[in-house]
Amino acid sequence: MTKITIANRGNDFYKVKGNKPLLLELRSQGLDLPYGCQYGGCITCAAKLIEGEVDQRAQVALNNRQINDGYVILCVAHAKTDCTFEVGVESHDKLYRNPFIDPLAPHELKADIAIRKDANK
Amino acid sequence: MDGFCCGPGYSSPSEAIKAPREKILYTIAIYTGTGIQKPDYLATIDLDPESSTYSKVINRLEMPGIGDELHHMGWNACSSCHGDNKMSRGYLLVPGVRSNNIYVVDTATDPFSPSLYKTVDGAEIKSKTNLSGPHTVHCLGSEIIISFLGDAKGEAPGGYLHLNKDFEIVGRWENSMGDIPFSYDFWYQPRHNVMVSSEWAAPNTFMPGFDLEEVGHLKYGRRLHIWDFAKKKPVETMYLGEDGLVPLEVKFLHDPDSSHGFCGAALSSNVIHFWKSKEEKWEWEKIIDVDNEPHPDWPIPIPGVMSAILVSMDDKYLYINNWLHGDMRQYDISDPHKPVMTGQVWMGGLLGKAPVINGVNITGGPQMYQLSLDGKRMYVTTSLFSTWDNQFYPDMRTQGGAMLMIDCDVKNGGMKINKDFIIDFGKEPNGPSRCHESRYPGGDCTSDIWL
Repeated sequence: MTKITIANRGNDFYKVKGNKPLLLELRSQGLDLPYGCQYGGCITCAAKLIEGEVDQRAQVALNNRQINDGYVILCVAHAKTDCTFEVGVESHDKLYRNPFIDPLAPHELKADIAIRKDANK
Repeated sequence: MDGFCCGPGYSSPSEAIKAPREKILYTIAIYTGTGIQKPDYLATIDLDPESSTYSKVINRLEMPGIGDELHHMGWNACSSCHGDNKMSRGYLLVPGVRSNNIYVVDTATDPFSPSLYKTVDGAEIKSKTNLSGPHTVHCLGSEIIISFLGDAKGEAPGGYLHLNKDFEIVGRWENSMGDIPFSYDFWYQPRHNVMVSSEWAAPNTFMPGFDLEEVGHLKYGRRLHIWDFAKKKPVETMYLGEDGLVPLEVKFLHDPDSSHGFCGAALSSNVIHFWKSKEEKWEWEKIIDVDNEPHPDWPIPIPGVMSAILVSMDDKYLYINNWLHGDMRQYDISDPHKPVMTGQVWMGGLLGKAPVINGVNITGGPQMYQLSLDGKRMYVTTSLFSTWDNQFYPDMRTQGGAMLMIDCDVKNGGMKINKDFIIDFGKEPNGPSRCHESRYPGGDCTSDIWL
């Protein structure tokens, strides 16, 4: 069992077994969370990881900048350790950016097209 | 009922133009991606100027759960089965782009207060057809096809779901996707045995939002595809290149004998005109090019983002929008090779030309629109897609979307924003929602096709 704390819900916490994705686990315990595709392909359910470690290898929606900013796709993610999240749109301050004003560096693209930062060094 | 024969729709575009004036309009409104934990819904709008609830939402049909992202929709039947007295236009098919569910809404029993008739389950669609990311709905005769942008895992190119008239899954409609890389919109013209389809991107690419760099990595479309409609397979590709980046909406002229059609390339902000030459060859040309506009806060000029196009029922006018600039334009396309701009209005947008309309702050820009059958009234909404709204118009989360009306001069050309009509979706009972595509119960300029 791992302990999932929700920082922006008064530090409410939930114990999860880890065999189901966090979205299902938390919703089944009564936490009202947004979601969309439920397969890791859209960012409607994104939450920000403040502390802890997750396995979200199944997600295909986040670019590397969003991952580096701590975003986790709850519908496919599993907790590897105790975790603290901010959830919902209040946590989306860095999730959305105007792509013309604030472009991505080559290493910040999605994993399938990103170029490693040290590739030319 | 509305025309010479006994089936749905009208015997011809000229009969459709003579139909009685629209009294109500359906538009989808979303909470997905807004932070409000409520289902998306189908709103009924009162369009009768004599009514005490004119220009108001008079009914809201909530979907069964949250997170669908309702977007486009289509009728179970249109003028393509006008001769079939067993058919009637009584059901609106409303797909959820993210959930993959297709909601079949009964609009006939009580047009003012539609009800959910059936749900075609998104998981069942995935398991039976390996499709996700539904978009355009067209009926063809008594059958229904819906374009999907991805496979069950959200990878391109997707394909076409075939439903029968009882809304049961028949399977995939197409016999082959050929080497088509992406799907999006489509329109068909049976007398030329042709369907034309366009390209957005894979659901996994566009659903999370827009990364401009992915255009250069060829993860967004730049082609149109010509299909052999009877054989249900693509036969030719028109590579549009830089002129046609992200080609979205496709419309043929309504005249069933015409081979002329148009596509709006959203990122290039160009209109592409295509037609079949006398030598029976499909040709294309760029006929409208909206210049990018400078903005003090942007390092590069702002593209228009032409996310929709619409052809009036009399085939005289082409309408386009520039979602980021904030304008709608009307072009006389009597000569489809040489469009002439005849009208322009501003609402919202990033250029700051019309931030307030009829007392309402407009967040977003003109995005989807529906034109009355007589061509005189256009209803315009402001939201594109939740994640893209959140990138370009972050204030939409608190302000919501809006619906406006434009009076269109069909005789001399010209557009004018109507002063008496506005719906502020920022003031919805459950909080600010965002409205997108609209349909009239009697059929409209973006649904009906003649065989």
